[in-house]
Amino acid sequence: MYDPPTESTEARPGEIGLVQWNDFHWEETFTCDSGDILPEFSLRYETYGKLNEDKSNAILICHALSGDHHCAGIHSLADKKPGWWNNLIGPGKPVDTNKYFVICSNCLGGCQGSTGPKSVNPATGSAYNLDFPLISVRDMVRAQHLLLTEGLGLSGLYSVIGGSMGGMQVLQWGIEYPEFVQKLIPMATTARQNAQAIAFNEVGRLAIMQDPDWKEGAYSEGEGPNVGLAVARMMAHITYLSDAGLEEKFGREKVSQSAARSQFDAEFEVESYLRYQGQSFINRFDANSYLYLSKALDRFDLFGENGCLEDQLQAIRARTLVIAFKSDWLFPPEQNRSIVHALLRCGLPASYAELDLTLGHDSFLVHAPDLYTLIKEFLAS
Amino acid sequence: MLPEKTMQRHKIKRQTDFQIISGWIEEGQRVLDIGCGRGILMEHLIRTRKVKAFGVDTNLDKVKSCVKRGVSVYHGDADSLLKEFPEGFFDWVILSRMVQELSDPGELIRQALRVSSNVAVGFVNYGFWRNRWSTLLTGSRVTNQVFPLTWEEGRPYNPVTVKGFNDFAERHQINIADTAFLKGNWKDQTRFFPNLTAGYAIYHLTGTPA
Repeated sequence: MYDPPTESTEARPGEIGLVQWNDFHWEETFTCDSGDILPEFSLRYETYGKLNEDKSNAILICHALSGDHHCAGIHSLADKKPGWWNNLIGPGKPVDTNKYFVICSNCLGGCQGSTGPKSVNPATGSAYNLDFPLISVRDMVRAQHLLLTEGLGLSGLYSVIGGSMGGMQVLQWGIEYPEFVQKLIPMATTARQNAQAIAFNEVGRLAIMQDPDWKEGAYSEGEGPNVGLAVARMMAHITYLSDAGLEEKFGREKVSQSAARSQFDAEFEVESYLRYQGQSFINRFDANSYLYLSKALDRFDLFGENGCLEDQLQAIRARTLVIAFKSDWLFPPEQNRSIVHALLRCGLPASYAELDLTLGHDSFLVHAPDLYTLIKEFLAS
Repeated sequence: MLPEKTMQRHKIKRQTDFQIISGWIEEGQRVLDIGCGRGILMEHLIRTRKVKAFGVDTNLDKVKSCVKRGVSVYHGDADSLLKEFPEGFFDWVILSRMVQELSDPGELIRQALRVSSNVAVGFVNYGFWRNRWSTLLTGSRVTNQVFPLTWEEGRPYNPVTVKGFNDFAERHQINIADTAFLKGNWKDQTRFFPNLTAGYAIYHLTGTPA
Protein backbone atom coordinates (compact mmCIF):
# COMPACT_ATOMS: atom_id res chain seq x y z
CA MET A 1 0.00 0.00 0.00
CA TYR A 2 1.21 3.46 -0.80
CA ASP A 3 1.83 5.59 2.27
CA PRO A 4 0.93 9.23 1.81
CA PRO A 5 3.85 11.53 2.61
CA THR A 6 3.86 12.45 6.26
CA GLU A 7 5.07 15.69 7.71
CA SER A 8 8.83 15.74 7.65
CA THR A 9 10.70 16.09 10.90
CA GLU A 10 13.75 17.41 9.09
CA ALA A 11 14.43 21.11 9.25
CA ARG A 12 12.90 22.65 6.18
CA PRO A 13 14.27 25.73 4.49
CA GLY A 14 11.74 28.12 6.04
CA GLU A 15 13.69 30.97 7.54
CA ILE A 16 12.72 33.61 10.04
CA GLY A 17 14.62 36.19 8.04
CA LEU A 18 15.36 39.61 9.49
CA VAL A 19 15.07 39.92 13.24
CA GLN A 20 15.73 42.69 15.74
CA TRP A 21 16.77 42.67 19.34
CA ASN A 22 15.08 44.54 22.19
CA ASP A 23 16.26 45.62 25.62
CA PHE A 24 14.44 45.00 28.87
CA HIS A 25 15.37 47.40 31.68
CA TRP A 26 14.74 46.48 35.28
CA GLU A 27 15.01 49.68 37.26
CA GLU A 28 14.78 48.14 40.72
CA THR A 29 17.47 46.44 42.74
CA PHE A 30 18.29 42.79 42.13
CA THR A 31 19.84 40.75 44.93
CA CYS A 32 22.20 38.09 43.66
CA ASP A 33 22.71 34.67 45.26
CA SER A 34 26.02 35.99 46.55
CA GLY A 35 24.14 38.62 48.57
CA ASP A 36 25.51 41.43 46.42
CA ILE A 37 23.02 43.86 44.98
CA LEU A 38 22.74 45.13 41.43
CA PRO A 39 21.03 48.54 41.47
CA GLU A 40 19.44 47.79 38.08
CA PHE A 41 19.99 45.57 35.07
CA SER A 42 19.17 45.17 31.39
CA LEU A 43 18.67 42.04 29.35
CA ARG A 44 18.94 42.07 25.60
CA TYR A 45 16.57 39.62 23.93
CA GLU A 46 14.97 38.57 20.68
CA THR A 47 11.57 37.05 20.01
CA TYR A 48 10.33 35.10 17.00
CA GLY A 49 6.82 33.99 16.07
CA LYS A 50 3.61 35.23 17.65
CA LEU A 51 2.30 34.86 21.16
CA ASN A 52 -1.13 33.24 20.95
CA GLU A 53 -4.22 34.67 22.62
CA ASP A 54 -4.07 32.60 25.79
CA LYS A 55 -0.31 33.13 25.98
CA SER A 56 0.35 29.41 26.11
CA ASN A 57 2.85 28.95 23.29
CA ALA A 58 5.97 30.67 24.62
CA ILE A 59 9.28 28.83 24.49
CA LEU A 60 12.43 30.15 26.12
CA ILE A 61 15.80 29.28 24.61
CA CYS A 62 18.79 29.41 26.97
CA HIS A 63 22.22 29.92 25.47
CA ALA A 64 25.56 28.37 26.38
CA LEU A 65 28.62 30.12 27.84
CA SER A 66 29.71 31.89 24.67
CA GLY A 67 26.26 32.23 23.11
CA ASP A 68 23.89 35.16 23.04
CA HIS A 69 20.30 36.25 22.46
CA HIS A 70 20.61 36.01 18.68
CA CYS A 71 19.65 32.36 18.17
CA ALA A 72 17.79 32.53 14.86
CA GLY A 73 17.34 34.69 11.80
CA ILE A 74 19.65 37.43 10.59
CA HIS A 75 20.12 41.05 11.62
CA SER A 76 20.95 42.29 8.15
CA LEU A 77 21.09 40.86 4.65
CA ALA A 78 24.85 41.30 4.82
CA ASP A 79 25.14 38.87 7.77
CA LYS A 80 27.41 35.97 6.94
CA LYS A 81 25.85 33.72 9.55
CA PRO A 82 22.34 33.43 11.02
CA GLY A 83 21.69 33.07 14.78
CA TRP A 84 23.44 30.19 16.53
CA TRP A 85 20.45 27.79 16.63
CA ASN A 86 18.96 28.79 13.30
CA ASN A 87 18.87 25.16 12.13
CA LEU A 88 16.49 24.33 14.98
CA ILE A 89 14.31 27.42 15.18
CA GLY A 90 12.19 28.84 12.38
CA PRO A 91 9.03 28.37 10.36
CA GLY A 92 8.43 24.63 9.94
CA LYS A 93 11.56 23.76 11.90
CA PRO A 94 11.53 21.59 15.06
CA VAL A 95 10.96 24.66 17.22
CA ASP A 96 8.36 25.95 14.81
CA THR A 97 7.92 29.71 14.89
CA ASN A 98 4.59 29.28 13.08
CA LYS A 99 3.36 27.54 16.24
CA TYR A 100 5.48 28.88 19.06
CA PHE A 101 6.51 32.26 20.37
CA VAL A 102 10.25 31.92 20.92
CA ILE A 103 12.28 34.10 23.27
CA CYS A 104 16.01 34.14 23.82
CA SER A 105 17.87 36.58 26.05
CA ASN A 106 21.52 37.28 26.60
CA CYS A 107 22.14 36.11 30.15
CA LEU A 108 22.87 38.31 33.12
CA GLY A 109 26.65 38.80 33.30
CA GLY A 110 26.91 38.47 29.52
CA CYS A 111 28.46 40.97 27.17
CA GLN A 112 26.10 41.16 24.21
CA GLY A 113 23.89 43.93 25.51
CA SER A 114 22.83 42.52 28.88
CA THR A 115 24.24 43.90 32.10
CA GLY A 116 27.65 42.43 32.81
CA PRO A 117 31.03 43.39 34.25
CA LYS A 118 31.71 45.93 31.48
CA SER A 119 28.40 47.72 32.03
CA VAL A 120 28.43 51.07 33.76
CA ASN A 121 27.91 50.96 37.50
CA PRO A 122 25.43 53.79 38.19
CA ALA A 123 27.06 54.34 41.60
CA THR A 124 30.45 55.19 40.12
CA GLY A 125 29.73 56.15 36.53
CA SER A 126 32.37 53.74 35.30
CA ALA A 127 32.45 50.03 34.40
CA TYR A 128 31.83 47.52 37.19
CA ASN A 129 34.78 45.36 36.20
CA LEU A 130 35.62 43.23 39.24
CA ASP A 131 33.04 45.04 41.40
CA PHE A 132 30.40 43.15 39.46
CA PRO A 133 28.79 40.59 41.77
CA LEU A 134 29.64 36.92 41.33
CA ILE A 135 26.48 35.88 39.56
CA SER A 136 25.01 32.36 39.54
CA VAL A 137 23.01 30.32 37.07
CA ARG A 138 20.05 30.91 39.38
CA ASP A 139 20.58 34.67 39.10
CA MET A 140 20.48 34.37 35.31
CA VAL A 141 17.18 32.49 35.55
CA ARG A 142 15.64 34.93 38.04
CA ALA A 143 16.59 37.86 35.80
CA GLN A 144 15.02 36.08 32.80
CA HIS A 145 11.88 35.49 34.86
CA LEU A 146 11.58 39.24 35.40
CA LEU A 147 11.99 39.81 31.66
CA LEU A 148 9.23 37.30 30.89
CA THR A 149 6.75 38.36 33.56
CA GLU A 150 7.36 42.09 33.91
CA GLY A 151 8.71 42.77 30.43
CA LEU A 152 6.64 40.49 28.23
CA GLY A 153 3.62 39.94 30.49
CA LEU A 154 3.86 36.15 30.37
CA SER A 155 2.40 34.00 33.12
CA GLY A 156 3.91 30.75 31.94
CA LEU A 157 6.18 29.03 29.47
CA TYR A 158 5.30 26.07 27.32
CA SER A 159 8.90 24.97 27.30
CA VAL A 160 12.47 25.91 28.16
CA ILE A 161 15.22 24.50 25.93
CA GLY A 162 18.98 24.79 26.19
CA GLY A 163 22.31 22.99 25.93
CA SER A 164 25.38 23.07 28.16
CA MET A 165 25.13 26.18 30.40
CA GLY A 166 21.73 26.66 28.76
CA GLY A 167 20.79 23.18 30.02
CA MET A 168 21.74 24.17 33.56
CA GLN A 169 19.41 27.15 33.24
CA VAL A 170 16.65 24.86 31.97
CA LEU A 171 16.95 22.70 35.10
CA GLN A 172 17.10 25.76 37.33
CA TRP A 173 13.97 27.10 35.63
CA GLY A 174 12.09 23.92 36.48
CA ILE A 175 13.24 24.08 40.10
CA GLU A 176 12.80 27.81 40.67
CA TYR A 177 9.48 28.28 38.91
CA PRO A 178 7.81 24.83 38.90
CA GLU A 179 4.34 26.05 38.00
CA PHE A 180 5.63 28.40 35.30
CA VAL A 181 7.04 25.75 32.94
CA GLN A 182 5.38 22.75 31.27
CA LYS A 183 8.24 21.07 29.43
CA LEU A 184 11.97 21.11 29.97
CA ILE A 185 14.55 20.05 27.40
CA PRO A 186 18.05 20.23 28.89
CA MET A 187 20.78 18.74 26.71
CA ALA A 188 24.53 18.10 26.89
CA THR A 189 24.44 19.39 30.43
CA THR A 190 25.15 18.49 34.02
CA ALA A 191 23.71 19.04 37.49
CA ARG A 192 27.21 19.96 38.61
CA GLN A 193 30.56 20.06 36.86
CA ASN A 194 33.13 17.41 37.61
CA ALA A 195 36.73 18.30 38.42
CA GLN A 196 37.74 18.00 34.75
CA ALA A 197 35.35 20.72 33.57
CA ILE A 198 36.35 23.00 36.46
CA ALA A 199 40.00 22.35 35.61
CA PHE A 200 39.54 23.45 32.00
CA ASN A 201 37.68 26.57 33.10
CA GLU A 202 40.50 27.43 35.48
CA VAL A 203 43.12 27.20 32.73
CA GLY A 204 40.99 29.51 30.60
CA ARG A 205 40.60 31.99 33.43
CA LEU A 206 44.33 31.94 34.18
CA ALA A 207 45.18 32.53 30.51
CA ILE A 208 43.05 35.70 30.72
CA MET A 209 44.27 36.87 34.11
CA GLN A 210 47.95 36.25 33.29
CA ASP A 211 47.69 38.45 30.23
CA PRO A 212 49.27 41.82 31.26
CA ASP A 213 46.51 43.62 29.37
CA TRP A 214 43.91 42.24 31.74
CA LYS A 215 44.90 44.86 34.37
CA GLU A 216 42.83 43.29 37.16
CA GLY A 217 39.83 43.59 34.89
CA ALA A 218 40.19 47.35 34.53
CA TYR A 219 41.13 47.38 30.82
CA SER A 220 39.50 50.16 28.78
CA GLU A 221 37.04 49.74 25.99
CA GLY A 222 38.59 48.46 22.81
CA GLU A 223 41.51 47.01 24.76
CA GLY A 224 41.83 43.95 26.93
CA PRO A 225 43.59 40.62 27.42
CA ASN A 226 43.14 39.57 23.82
CA VAL A 227 45.88 36.96 23.83
CA GLY A 228 44.61 35.39 27.03
CA LEU A 229 41.00 35.41 25.91
CA ALA A 230 41.91 33.87 22.54
CA VAL A 231 43.92 31.11 24.23
CA ALA A 232 41.06 30.47 26.68
CA ARG A 233 38.64 30.19 23.79
CA MET A 234 40.93 27.92 21.76
CA MET A 235 41.31 25.53 24.63
CA ALA A 236 37.63 25.60 25.57
CA HIS A 237 36.72 25.03 21.94
CA ILE A 238 38.66 21.76 21.94
CA THR A 239 36.60 20.58 24.90
CA TYR A 240 33.43 21.26 22.90
CA LEU A 241 34.56 18.92 20.12
CA SER A 242 35.86 15.36 20.04
CA ASP A 243 38.75 13.35 18.67
CA ALA A 244 36.54 11.81 15.99
CA GLY A 245 34.92 15.14 15.17
CA LEU A 246 38.25 16.93 14.74
CA GLU A 247 39.63 14.03 12.74
CA GLU A 248 36.62 14.07 10.45
CA LYS A 249 36.86 17.81 9.92
CA PHE A 250 40.63 18.36 9.71
CA GLY A 251 42.61 15.15 10.02
CA ARG A 252 46.23 16.07 9.38
CA GLU A 253 45.42 18.44 6.54
CA LYS A 254 48.02 21.16 6.21
CA VAL A 255 47.55 24.80 5.36
CA SER A 256 49.06 25.95 2.06
CA GLN A 257 52.86 26.31 2.19
CA SER A 258 52.87 29.95 1.14
CA ALA A 259 50.67 30.99 4.07
CA ALA A 260 53.19 29.79 6.66
CA ARG A 261 55.92 32.35 7.13
CA SER A 262 57.85 30.98 10.09
CA GLN A 263 58.38 27.50 11.49
CA PHE A 264 55.77 27.97 14.23
CA ASP A 265 53.04 29.50 12.14
CA ALA A 266 49.93 27.41 11.81
CA GLU A 267 51.03 24.34 9.89
CA PHE A 268 47.97 22.13 10.19
CA GLU A 269 44.43 23.10 9.31
CA VAL A 270 43.30 22.44 12.87
CA GLU A 271 45.79 25.00 14.20
CA SER A 272 44.62 27.58 11.74
CA TYR A 273 41.00 26.82 12.63
CA LEU A 274 41.62 27.25 16.36
CA ARG A 275 43.53 30.48 15.82
CA TYR A 276 40.60 31.76 13.81
CA GLN A 277 38.20 30.72 16.61
CA GLY A 278 40.35 32.55 19.15
CA GLN A 279 40.65 35.68 17.02
CA SER A 280 36.99 35.93 16.16
CA PHE A 281 36.09 35.40 19.82
CA ILE A 282 38.02 38.47 21.01
CA ASN A 283 35.96 40.59 18.64
CA ARG A 284 32.69 39.48 20.14
CA PHE A 285 33.32 38.50 23.73
CA ASP A 286 34.42 40.32 26.84
CA ALA A 287 37.16 38.76 28.96
CA ASN A 288 35.60 39.73 32.30
CA SER A 289 32.27 38.26 31.23
CA TYR A 290 34.11 35.07 30.39
CA LEU A 291 35.60 34.96 33.89
CA TYR A 292 32.25 35.57 35.57
CA LEU A 293 30.24 33.14 33.48
CA SER A 294 32.78 30.34 33.70
CA LYS A 295 32.79 30.80 37.48
CA ALA A 296 28.98 30.60 37.53
CA LEU A 297 29.31 27.24 35.74
CA ASP A 298 31.88 25.95 38.23
CA ARG A 299 29.74 26.91 41.21
CA PHE A 300 26.52 25.49 39.80
CA ASP A 301 25.68 22.48 41.95
CA LEU A 302 22.21 20.99 42.12
CA PHE A 303 23.45 18.21 44.37
CA GLY A 304 23.71 20.75 47.18
CA GLU A 305 25.28 20.28 50.57
CA ASN A 306 23.75 16.84 51.17
CA GLY A 307 24.99 15.59 47.82
CA CYS A 308 21.45 14.58 46.95
CA LEU A 309 20.14 15.68 43.57
CA GLU A 310 16.54 14.84 44.50
CA ASP A 311 16.48 17.56 47.18
CA GLN A 312 16.42 20.17 44.43
CA LEU A 313 14.89 18.31 41.50
CA GLN A 314 11.81 17.16 43.41
CA ALA A 315 10.43 20.70 43.06
CA ILE A 316 10.07 20.25 39.29
CA ARG A 317 6.53 19.91 37.95
CA ALA A 318 7.33 20.00 34.25
CA ARG A 319 7.82 16.99 32.02
CA THR A 320 11.49 16.67 31.20
CA LEU A 321 13.40 15.27 28.23
CA VAL A 322 17.15 15.10 28.78
CA ILE A 323 19.28 14.57 25.68
CA ALA A 324 22.95 13.54 25.86
CA PHE A 325 25.56 12.88 23.21
CA LYS A 326 27.79 9.81 23.28
CA SER A 327 30.86 11.75 22.13
CA ASP A 328 30.44 14.55 24.69
CA TRP A 329 33.37 14.24 27.09
CA LEU A 330 32.86 17.65 28.73
CA PHE A 331 29.40 16.87 30.13
CA PRO A 332 29.33 13.16 29.30
CA PRO A 333 26.20 10.97 29.12
CA GLU A 334 26.67 9.72 32.73
CA GLN A 335 26.16 13.24 34.05
CA ASN A 336 23.03 13.72 31.96
CA ARG A 337 21.73 10.31 33.01
CA SER A 338 22.15 11.10 36.69
CA ILE A 339 19.70 13.99 36.23
CA VAL A 340 17.13 11.60 34.75
CA HIS A 341 17.74 8.96 37.44
CA ALA A 342 17.05 11.55 40.14
CA LEU A 343 13.91 12.84 38.39
CA LEU A 344 12.61 9.29 38.03
CA ARG A 345 13.39 8.53 41.67
CA CYS A 346 11.30 11.59 42.51
CA GLY A 347 8.47 9.92 40.59
CA LEU A 348 8.52 12.71 37.99
CA PRO A 349 7.81 12.21 34.29
CA ALA A 350 11.24 12.26 32.67
CA SER A 351 12.67 10.84 29.48
CA TYR A 352 16.22 10.33 28.35
CA ALA A 353 17.73 9.93 24.90
CA GLU A 354 21.38 9.43 24.04
CA LEU A 355 22.42 10.33 20.53
CA ASP A 356 25.37 8.86 18.73
CA LEU A 357 26.71 12.01 17.11
CA THR A 358 30.45 12.40 16.67
CA LEU A 359 30.82 16.11 17.29
CA GLY A 360 31.28 16.02 21.05
CA HIS A 361 29.72 18.51 23.43
CA ASP A 362 28.70 20.84 20.60
CA SER A 363 26.63 18.09 18.95
CA PHE A 364 23.44 19.85 20.01
CA LEU A 365 24.28 22.66 17.59
CA VAL A 366 24.78 20.59 14.45
CA HIS A 367 22.33 19.34 11.86
CA ALA A 368 20.92 16.21 13.52
CA PRO A 369 17.61 14.70 12.34
CA ASP A 370 17.28 12.46 15.44
CA LEU A 371 17.66 15.47 17.71
CA TYR A 372 15.13 17.42 15.66
CA THR A 373 12.61 14.56 15.81
CA LEU A 374 12.96 14.23 19.57
CA ILE A 375 12.50 17.96 20.20
CA LYS A 376 9.63 18.31 17.74
CA GLU A 377 7.76 15.25 19.05
CA PHE A 378 8.33 16.09 22.69
CA LEU A 379 6.96 19.58 22.12
CA ALA A 380 3.98 18.22 20.17
CA SER A 381 3.11 15.37 22.58
CA MET B 1 5.71 -5.22 5.75
CA LEU B 2 3.46 -7.95 7.14
CA PRO B 3 0.23 -8.66 5.31
CA GLU B 4 -2.82 -6.97 6.77
CA LYS B 5 -4.38 -10.18 8.10
CA THR B 6 -1.24 -11.07 10.03
CA MET B 7 -1.03 -7.55 11.45
CA GLN B 8 -4.53 -7.89 12.84
CA ARG B 9 -3.92 -11.28 14.38
CA HIS B 10 -0.74 -9.96 15.85
CA LYS B 11 -2.65 -7.09 17.38
CA ILE B 12 -5.23 -9.42 18.89
CA LYS B 13 -2.48 -11.49 20.44
CA ARG B 14 -0.94 -8.42 21.92
CA GLN B 15 -4.27 -7.36 23.38
CA THR B 16 -4.80 -10.62 25.29
CA ASP B 17 -1.33 -10.28 26.70
CA PHE B 18 -2.01 -6.66 27.73
CA GLN B 19 -5.38 -7.51 29.24
CA ILE B 20 -3.91 -10.12 31.53
CA ILE B 21 -1.08 -7.88 32.71
CA SER B 22 -3.31 -4.85 33.19
CA GLY B 23 -5.77 -7.06 35.07
CA TRP B 24 -3.05 -7.68 37.65
CA ILE B 25 -2.11 -4.02 38.02
CA GLU B 26 -4.09 -1.74 40.30
CA GLU B 27 -5.02 1.85 39.68
CA GLY B 28 -2.33 4.47 40.25
CA GLN B 29 0.52 1.99 40.77
CA ARG B 30 4.12 2.73 39.84
CA VAL B 31 5.20 0.70 36.84
CA LEU B 32 8.44 0.17 34.95
CA ASP B 33 8.23 -1.48 31.54
CA ILE B 34 11.58 -3.02 30.61
CA GLY B 35 12.04 -3.35 26.86
CA CYS B 36 9.04 -1.07 26.43
CA GLY B 37 9.32 -0.83 22.64
CA ARG B 38 7.08 1.85 21.26
CA GLY B 39 5.31 2.36 24.58
CA ILE B 40 1.97 0.79 23.58
CA LEU B 41 1.54 -1.22 26.79
CA MET B 42 2.44 1.79 28.94
CA GLU B 43 0.01 3.98 27.06
CA HIS B 44 -2.67 1.34 27.63
CA LEU B 45 -1.88 1.11 31.36
CA ILE B 46 -1.81 4.88 31.78
CA ARG B 47 -5.16 5.16 30.04
CA THR B 48 -6.93 2.25 31.71
CA ARG B 49 -5.19 2.07 35.10
CA LYS B 50 -3.90 5.63 35.54
CA VAL B 51 -0.52 4.19 36.48
CA LYS B 52 2.66 6.20 36.86
CA ALA B 53 4.79 4.50 34.27
CA PHE B 54 7.99 4.80 32.38
CA GLY B 55 9.81 2.46 30.09
CA VAL B 56 13.34 1.59 29.17
CA ASP B 57 14.58 0.57 25.74
CA THR B 58 17.94 0.43 23.99
CA ASN B 59 16.58 1.25 20.55
CA LEU B 60 16.52 4.94 19.61
CA ASP B 61 13.69 4.58 17.09
CA LYS B 62 11.51 3.04 19.79
CA VAL B 63 12.52 5.78 22.22
CA LYS B 64 11.46 8.36 19.64
CA SER B 65 8.10 6.59 19.28
CA CYS B 66 7.58 6.71 23.04
CA VAL B 67 8.38 10.43 23.08
CA LYS B 68 5.87 10.93 20.28
CA ARG B 69 3.27 8.95 22.23
CA GLY B 70 3.91 11.14 25.24
CA VAL B 71 5.08 8.36 27.56
CA SER B 72 8.26 8.64 29.59
CA VAL B 73 11.14 6.55 28.34
CA TYR B 74 14.74 5.96 29.30
CA HIS B 75 17.10 5.24 26.44
CA GLY B 76 19.61 2.74 27.72
CA ASP B 77 20.23 -0.51 29.35
CA ALA B 78 17.93 -1.96 32.01
CA ASP B 79 20.60 -3.64 34.16
CA SER B 80 22.35 -0.38 35.00
CA LEU B 81 19.05 1.52 35.30
CA LEU B 82 17.67 -0.86 37.95
CA LYS B 83 20.75 -0.25 40.11
CA GLU B 84 19.66 3.38 40.40
CA PHE B 85 16.49 2.52 42.32
CA PRO B 86 16.05 1.54 45.94
CA GLU B 87 14.37 -1.68 47.09
CA GLY B 88 10.66 -1.87 46.49
CA PHE B 89 10.53 1.42 44.57
CA PHE B 90 8.11 0.10 41.95
CA ASP B 91 4.80 -1.69 42.35
CA TRP B 92 5.36 -3.48 39.08
CA VAL B 93 8.21 -4.23 36.73
CA ILE B 94 7.07 -5.67 33.41
CA LEU B 95 9.30 -7.86 31.27
CA SER B 96 7.13 -8.58 28.28
CA ARG B 97 8.63 -10.60 25.43
CA MET B 98 12.17 -9.66 26.12
CA VAL B 99 13.75 -12.09 28.63
CA GLN B 100 14.63 -14.47 25.82
CA GLU B 101 16.96 -11.88 24.28
CA LEU B 102 18.99 -11.05 27.40
CA SER B 103 22.43 -12.39 28.10
CA ASP B 104 21.73 -12.89 31.82
CA PRO B 105 17.95 -12.85 32.19
CA GLY B 106 17.96 -14.51 35.62
CA GLU B 107 19.99 -11.67 37.08
CA LEU B 108 17.69 -9.06 35.56
CA ILE B 109 14.62 -10.81 36.98
CA ARG B 110 16.26 -10.94 40.43
CA GLN B 111 17.16 -7.24 40.17
CA ALA B 112 13.58 -6.49 39.09
CA LEU B 113 12.30 -8.30 42.18
CA ARG B 114 14.61 -6.22 44.33
CA VAL B 115 13.22 -2.87 43.09
CA SER B 116 9.61 -3.98 42.70
CA SER B 117 7.04 -5.82 44.79
CA ASN B 118 5.61 -7.46 41.68
CA VAL B 119 7.19 -8.58 38.43
CA ALA B 120 5.32 -9.68 35.32
CA VAL B 121 7.26 -11.84 32.89
CA GLY B 122 5.70 -12.79 29.56
CA PHE B 123 7.43 -15.04 27.06
CA VAL B 124 6.84 -17.30 24.09
CA ASN B 125 6.95 -20.87 25.36
CA TYR B 126 9.36 -22.92 23.32
CA GLY B 127 8.07 -26.02 25.04
CA PHE B 128 4.81 -25.60 23.09
CA TRP B 129 4.35 -28.70 20.96
CA ARG B 130 4.18 -26.77 17.70
CA ASN B 131 7.47 -25.06 18.44
CA ARG B 132 9.04 -28.40 19.28
CA TRP B 133 7.64 -29.86 16.09
CA SER B 134 8.96 -26.94 14.07
CA THR B 135 12.45 -27.41 15.46
CA LEU B 136 12.19 -31.16 14.97
CA LEU B 137 11.29 -30.68 11.32
CA THR B 138 13.70 -27.91 10.44
CA GLY B 139 16.41 -28.20 13.08
CA SER B 140 16.43 -24.45 12.99
CA ARG B 141 15.08 -21.83 15.34
CA VAL B 142 11.33 -21.33 15.48
CA THR B 143 9.82 -18.53 13.49
CA ASN B 144 6.39 -17.25 14.39
CA GLN B 145 4.49 -14.00 14.45
CA VAL B 146 6.38 -12.60 17.39
CA PHE B 147 9.75 -13.72 16.07
CA PRO B 148 9.25 -13.71 12.33
CA LEU B 149 12.94 -13.35 11.48
CA THR B 150 15.17 -16.25 10.55
CA TRP B 151 18.58 -16.80 12.10
CA GLU B 152 20.47 -14.56 9.69
CA GLU B 153 18.28 -11.52 10.34
CA GLY B 154 16.98 -11.92 13.89
CA ARG B 155 18.47 -11.09 17.24
CA PRO B 156 19.88 -14.04 19.17
CA TYR B 157 17.48 -15.54 21.68
CA ASN B 158 17.30 -18.27 24.27
CA PRO B 159 14.49 -20.76 23.96
CA VAL B 160 12.60 -20.25 27.25
CA THR B 161 10.09 -22.88 28.34
CA VAL B 162 7.42 -23.01 31.03
CA LYS B 163 9.30 -25.86 32.71
CA GLY B 164 12.61 -24.04 32.46
CA PHE B 165 11.06 -20.96 34.01
CA ASN B 166 9.47 -22.93 36.85
CA ASP B 167 12.81 -24.58 37.59
CA PHE B 168 14.53 -21.20 37.65
CA ALA B 169 11.92 -19.79 40.08
CA GLU B 170 12.29 -22.78 42.36
CA ARG B 171 16.09 -22.66 42.39
CA HIS B 172 16.05 -18.97 43.32
CA GLN B 173 13.10 -19.24 45.72
CA ILE B 174 11.08 -16.80 43.66
CA ASN B 175 7.41 -16.88 44.52
CA ILE B 176 5.05 -17.41 41.60
CA ALA B 177 1.88 -15.60 42.67
CA ASP B 178 -0.08 -16.23 39.51
CA THR B 179 0.29 -17.51 35.97
CA ALA B 180 -1.62 -17.28 32.73
CA PHE B 181 -0.93 -19.79 29.98
CA LEU B 182 -2.34 -19.03 26.56
CA LYS B 183 -2.93 -21.63 23.92
CA GLY B 184 -1.45 -21.48 20.45
CA ASN B 185 -4.02 -18.86 19.46
CA TRP B 186 -2.72 -16.70 22.33
CA LYS B 187 -6.28 -16.04 23.39
CA ASP B 188 -7.77 -18.96 25.25
CA GLN B 189 -6.14 -20.07 28.45
CA THR B 190 -4.90 -23.55 29.16
CA ARG B 191 -4.04 -25.29 32.42
CA PHE B 192 -3.37 -28.73 31.04
CA PHE B 193 0.38 -29.46 30.72
CA PRO B 194 1.18 -25.84 29.90
CA ASN B 195 4.75 -26.67 28.98
CA LEU B 196 3.33 -28.56 25.98
CA THR B 197 0.03 -26.78 25.34
CA ALA B 198 0.81 -23.11 25.99
CA GLY B 199 2.07 -20.92 23.16
CA TYR B 200 2.57 -18.00 25.50
CA ALA B 201 3.16 -17.79 29.25
CA ILE B 202 2.77 -14.88 31.65
CA TYR B 203 4.06 -15.05 35.21
CA HIS B 204 3.31 -12.87 38.20
CA LEU B 205 6.31 -13.03 40.52
CA THR B 206 6.58 -11.60 44.02
CA GLY B 207 9.18 -11.50 46.75
CA THR B 208 12.48 -9.74 47.21
CA PRO B 209 15.40 -12.03 46.39
CA ALA B 210 18.87 -10.53 46.75
